[in-house]
Amino acid sequence: MGYLFDPDNWEWLVTANNARFIFEGFLVNLQLALIAMVFALAVGLALALARISRSPVLRFVAATWIDVWRNLPLIFIILYLALALPESWRDAYENNAPQLLPDVLQTGRVFAALLALVLYNSAVLAEIMRAGIQSLDRGQGEAAAALGLSYRQRMRFVILPQGLRRMVPATVSQLITLNKDTTLVSIIAIQEVMRHGRIVTGFNFFGGVQAPVLQVFIFIGLLFVATNLALSRLSRRLEIRERARTGTTVEPIGGLEDQVATAQAR
Amino acid sequence: MGALFDVLTDNFDELAGGLWVTLRLVGASFAIALVVGTLVAALRIAPSKWLQRLGGVYVETFRNVPLLVLLFISFAGLRRAGVPISNWAAGIGSLGLYTAAYVAEVLRSGVFAVSRGQIEAALSLGFSYGATLRRIVLPQAFRTVIAPLASITIAMIKNSAIVGVSLLALPDLLKEARIVQSRTFQTDEAFFWAAVGYLLITASATIAFRRLERRFAIRR
Repeated sequence: MGYLFDPDNWEWLVTANNARFIFEGFLVNLQLALIAMVFALAVGLALALARISRSPVLRFVAATWIDVWRNLPLIFIILYLALALPESWRDAYENNAPQLLPDVLQTGRVFAALLALVLYNSAVLAEIMRAGIQSLDRGQGEAAAALGLSYRQRMRFVILPQGLRRMVPATVSQLITLNKDTTLVSIIAIQEVMRHGRIVTGFNFFGGVQAPVLQVFIFIGLLFVATNLALSRLSRRLEIRERARTGTTVEPIGGLEDQVATAQAR
Repeated sequence: MGALFDVLTDNFDELAGGLWVTLRLVGASFAIALVVGTLVAALRIAPSKWLQRLGGVYVETFRNVPLLVLLFISFAGLRRAGVPISNWAAGIGSLGLYTAAYVAEVLRSGVFAVSRGQIEAALSLGFSYGATLRRIVLPQAFRTVIAPLASITIAMIKNSAIVGVSLLALPDLLKEARIVQSRTFQTDEAFFWAAVGYLLITASATIAFRRLERRFAIRR
């Protein structure tokens, strides 16, 4: 305890540019999470629609695809893609990455990381969306069909707007998980907060005092706790608002740890 | 196809050894998660505001921090601070304590799923707080938590892969696949067998929990 709270061991935080360096790394994690989330939502919606489509073949293919990616460890996918993606894909990413991205996110390795995050999370989100859509009362779809709406119209105007609204809280919980999972890309040497933490603790970086590992990573952990707590507050508020508006409760959906978060918010 | 099976037979000892390490890691962490998770859940439903708050802090901290950060803190952090912790202790401890937060939440929501009337009835019949919990609430809560506990366990099996490739260097399934890959350069084959290993473990866990669920289902 004495070691943990000894002011000497926290001196690194205010010397050199250590704190700023850590924050810069953390920002990379947040950016990765946001970019991956946007793509995962789009791909996840396509997968969910394929999973409940009227074609049995498409349903089977989508279900298999989703189950495989969802049940593999994310770190496994990241490592595999980093080793197995053809050089040409990574070069293509490097040459075509939008200039507005920070330099760290323009390297070829980031492509493997983003692809892994999107593959895994889109599969998870597809299941969440499917549950949201299928939790709708059957009567909704039947009434829309009776009114003469085509399959596409029913989906677009009746089913999706209601079904997707139900999955907003679960999606925010998944964003929390995704946010934590971005630390895993440090394994393939992307310069984010974990790497920055290791650099700060490595040697006399920036000529300041050497930072103790324990305190640095406790600090990084607290950054995550603060961000994710804010996100789960947001999720809970959205859910309460939703419940007040529709008079329904959101079913606990999603097959992951996040199920707990949704179940708990009820 | 031939190459695929060659990689398995040539490196069988490593891959099987990795699978065994992963199984031990998962088993030990699961035990810790159940014990600590139950204790934290007990705190969260304790009849004292302060104990509840303490349980809440545990859950919110361990659920919102990345597992990789926990591994860094418990291994490199504690070692640099002079605590001689082994890589197994750090790995099992981190994975167990991380998962315990989720277990605690599931157990708590299971307890709350038991209707208040039953608790009040038990208390008014003269059951003590402990006896109410043990004889009325927990047996019923147990049934409702099996399904969510299954998904937590599966998530934990997947999370166990993080332990091996982090600083700890525990030779688990993913780590062994990585070693085989770096020696043979047969990336697809090595990772294919690791994937089969992970899917086998998660599938058996799913089946086991489904059995458990059927066994404790309420017949009406």
